[in-house]
Amino acid sequence: MASLTIDNVKKSYGKTEILKGINISIETGEFLILVGPSGCGKSTLMNSIAGLEDITEGRILIADKDVTYTSPKDRDIAMVFQSYALYPNMTVEQNISFGLEMRKVPKAERDVEIQRVAELLQISHLLDRKPAQLSGGQRQRVAMGRALARRPQLYLFDEPLSNLDAKLRVEMRTEIKKLHKKLGTTIVYVTHDQIEAMTLADRIAVMKDGEVQQLGTPQEIYDNPANLFVAGFMGSPAMNFIPAKVIDQNGTPVLELEANTTTAIPFPRPESLKNHIGKTVLLGLRPEMITEPQPHKEGQAFVTTTGVEVEVTEPMGADTMILTRINGAEINCRSNPSYLAEPGSVINMMFDTSKAVVFDPKTGERLDF
Amino acid sequence: MKNNAIARKTSGVEKVLRLALYAVLLIMAFFYLMPLVIMLITSLKDAEEVRNGTLLSLPSYLHFDSWTKAWSGACTGSTCTGISPYFINSFKIVIPAVAISTLLGAINGYVISLWKFRGSDLFFAALLLGCFIPFQVVLLPMAQTLGWLGIASSTTGLVFVHVVYGVAFTTLFFRNFYQSIPGELVKAARLDGAGFFTIFYRIILPVSTPIIVVTVIWQFTQIWNDFLFGVAFSGFDSQPVTVALNNLVNTSFGGKEYNVDMAAAIIAALPTIIVYVFAGKYFVRGLTAGAVKG
Amino acid sequence: MNTNATNSESKKTQLGRPARLSLADWMPKIVLAPTMLIAIVCIYGYMIWTAVLSFTGSRMLPSYKFVGWDQYERLFNNDRWMVALTNLGIFGSLFILICLFLGIMLAIFLDQKIRAEGALRTIYLYPMAISFIVTGTAWKWLLNPTNGIQKLMIDMGFENFKFDWLTDPHRVVYCLVIAAVWQASGFVMALFLAGLRGVDGDLIKAAHLDGASTFTTYRRIILPSLKPVFFSALVILSHIAIKSFDLVQALTNGGPGYSSDLPANFMYTYTFTRSQIGMGSASAMVMLGCILAILVPYLYSELRGGRNEK
Repeated sequence: MASLTIDNVKKSYGKTEILKGINISIETGEFLILVGPSGCGKSTLMNSIAGLEDITEGRILIADKDVTYTSPKDRDIAMVFQSYALYPNMTVEQNISFGLEMRKVPKAERDVEIQRVAELLQISHLLDRKPAQLSGGQRQRVAMGRALARRPQLYLFDEPLSNLDAKLRVEMRTEIKKLHKKLGTTIVYVTHDQIEAMTLADRIAVMKDGEVQQLGTPQEIYDNPANLFVAGFMGSPAMNFIPAKVIDQNGTPVLELEANTTTAIPFPRPESLKNHIGKTVLLGLRPEMITEPQPHKEGQAFVTTTGVEVEVTEPMGADTMILTRINGAEINCRSNPSYLAEPGSVINMMFDTSKAVVFDPKTGERLDF
Repeated sequence: MKNNAIARKTSGVEKVLRLALYAVLLIMAFFYLMPLVIMLITSLKDAEEVRNGTLLSLPSYLHFDSWTKAWSGACTGSTCTGISPYFINSFKIVIPAVAISTLLGAINGYVISLWKFRGSDLFFAALLLGCFIPFQVVLLPMAQTLGWLGIASSTTGLVFVHVVYGVAFTTLFFRNFYQSIPGELVKAARLDGAGFFTIFYRIILPVSTPIIVVTVIWQFTQIWNDFLFGVAFSGFDSQPVTVALNNLVNTSFGGKEYNVDMAAAIIAALPTIIVYVFAGKYFVRGLTAGAVKG
Repeated sequence: MNTNATNSESKKTQLGRPARLSLADWMPKIVLAPTMLIAIVCIYGYMIWTAVLSFTGSRMLPSYKFVGWDQYERLFNNDRWMVALTNLGIFGSLFILICLFLGIMLAIFLDQKIRAEGALRTIYLYPMAISFIVTGTAWKWLLNPTNGIQKLMIDMGFENFKFDWLTDPHRVVYCLVIAAVWQASGFVMALFLAGLRGVDGDLIKAAHLDGASTFTTYRRIILPSLKPVFFSALVILSHIAIKSFDLVQALTNGGPGYSSDLPANFMYTYTFTRSQIGMGSASAMVMLGCILAILVPYLYSELRGGRNEK
């Protein structure tokens, strides 16, 4: 296992810059997830780490060794691909042993290694089959087995679960997490699924347009998004963005909400809004922070109850999402299913702004840092 | 199924139409088969029967003399060796030319599909044009080149020419086939430590059997049936069978022996017909793939 | 300061590129090199060479005395060339039209759940596996008036039956058409049958539910969706027509006289047997021009279409 340092890596094709100076460094045994919409450069960065694509500028260090110009096979990296990329003409066993064979590991050692990996992933009964005879989940396991067999310094996962159906995806997610805990491997994992990112990562790098927007633990990113993009990308349903006017209430800036009635709601870091009085900002509030009135929270600081008009409800079982409109923006609220909310009626909702954030509506940058 | 469903509903008229349909199909089958059948019948007649009978009159008994003569005794010009030496020449040309052009095509296709580099697509487009040029524009320069290389009028020279102008097609075939192989397969193998040739040999080639069959059949048929290069570049001893057949048929020496001509024509056509009968599926696949585009 | 330092450092490694200039990285290019050489020399180089020769006064041996457009002028004043070109016009258009007609018809007929479809398909297509020389030899025998079909019909009692196109300078070109259609129409059938089988079944179901008859379904729905196949077939057939050489050699040898010459035969005769290399080259260039005139628009639309799909 080893650490990985990505030092100011840039990559361009002709005039188009795919990576605009990426700086990330992760510790031995850390699980890093690169997340972002398609075309954000995460796969290019992954390929660059693997050495499958050259970079235009910068350095890549694995275990403090500069590998920027080392060929892929000498970087001691294993990769799990979205399509699994199992060799179709080889059996599962041959697939797993191929990398070892290429590295001239003696047959006896290879067999031991295959047994270890097969047991670890519970694929011992599949060793004689060809990839075409395997189900999606089994292929996924074999692909991971192939990576594990070589015991490389670094594992790369390129959207490994996106070809699986929803149920299997959740299962494999847990499996990967367990494996990571058990083996303490260093992993870089690309996905566009923010739930995968939240559940698996030690740290997440949110990317967009070839730049890292934010690098932090899942909770940091969830609670403290660096900008509008990160805030909107992470979390499902997404964070609500409410355009709200900053007004002065006895010397403290507060935010004005126009639902059924006009309400002023407090903000935990009022001093950051001082320069914006009279202007409109975007208030970011997660759906679970707008709920049915909860007696135990009554009277707490930053809790405001006000009436809103219900547009639509979406029961999800554990919660019911209530859609309403505040200051012209569509708002998702997460309420208890027992809370009565008839579409068209006006009901009371409790706004907890203790974890609220505000953004500049033009630049999308955080205003309250 | 769709048409049957309708046919069943309105029986009377549809039945007649269907009969007509089969009639047309059978007449056409006759049109395509007739020349081959007549060739066969004629080749089995003796000279007398050929002169006095009609196309369709059957031989009184099966004369194989014309076949023997076509194979080993018929005269073209002043030599009377039959077409057997030329038949063998054709194999001497076809086998190496098919092997080399297929191998080159496979490795070219592998590079163009899975090891793209700046300019490789442009190169492919340029090569594609090579599939389509009329060979008349290269005939004379090639004749000179073969002279300089010292392989003019030899089977080696013809192998060279067929490889040169066949490689565009074989590359096209393999490239299109490898296009459907995910690039991730090569990436995975590179990370596993395999090099350029190891990946080709261990991973790509084992899954290429169908396209190899298609290419080999295509190239075999093309080169076997070639006449233009054969007539332009071969010497007297290195003629392929098509050229020899044409000389035999058009020779103005002595009386016309149509039965011998027909026997020789069938012999010349036999290898490709055999391939067609036994691997028709692959032949058609090559035909449509090679024809349509890249 | 700090960023400057790292910048210059990374630049240095980039210029140095120590480990990556290995043989392995050059392998794809090395492997492609022979074919590249072949393409550059033997396709484009030779094309240019022939083009150059067509502007020289070369006769028996290539000479490099330039005569401008003289060879082209002589070519188009040459009666034999004009006959060849006219023949190509007649032969090409009839060959293409009949092949398309027969091919499409047979494909549609075979698509009607026909018994023994496989066998029929095999029969229709086998001529494509045969050399044009064999085809020419066979049809020469069939079309020969003294022994062939004409004699067969007369012997069957049609005393006045006349079918002597092979020896008639004005009709001999139709003999080429018959033999070429025999050889290539099955191929058009195969192309269209593959196309028909690729038409989305739901589309046909929808048309039937809309009340369209089988005939209307073919005319309005299925055939229009086969436009790409149609154009491919058109290009391939024109290509075969322009390159036709062996069939003429075997069937008529250009005769009677030179009445059934095609450009390819003209080119061969003038270059190799009549020692008119300059004019032969000019005729080759005209053939190339014909093919490019058909091919370039086709490839252009193909490539553009391909890009749209992506």
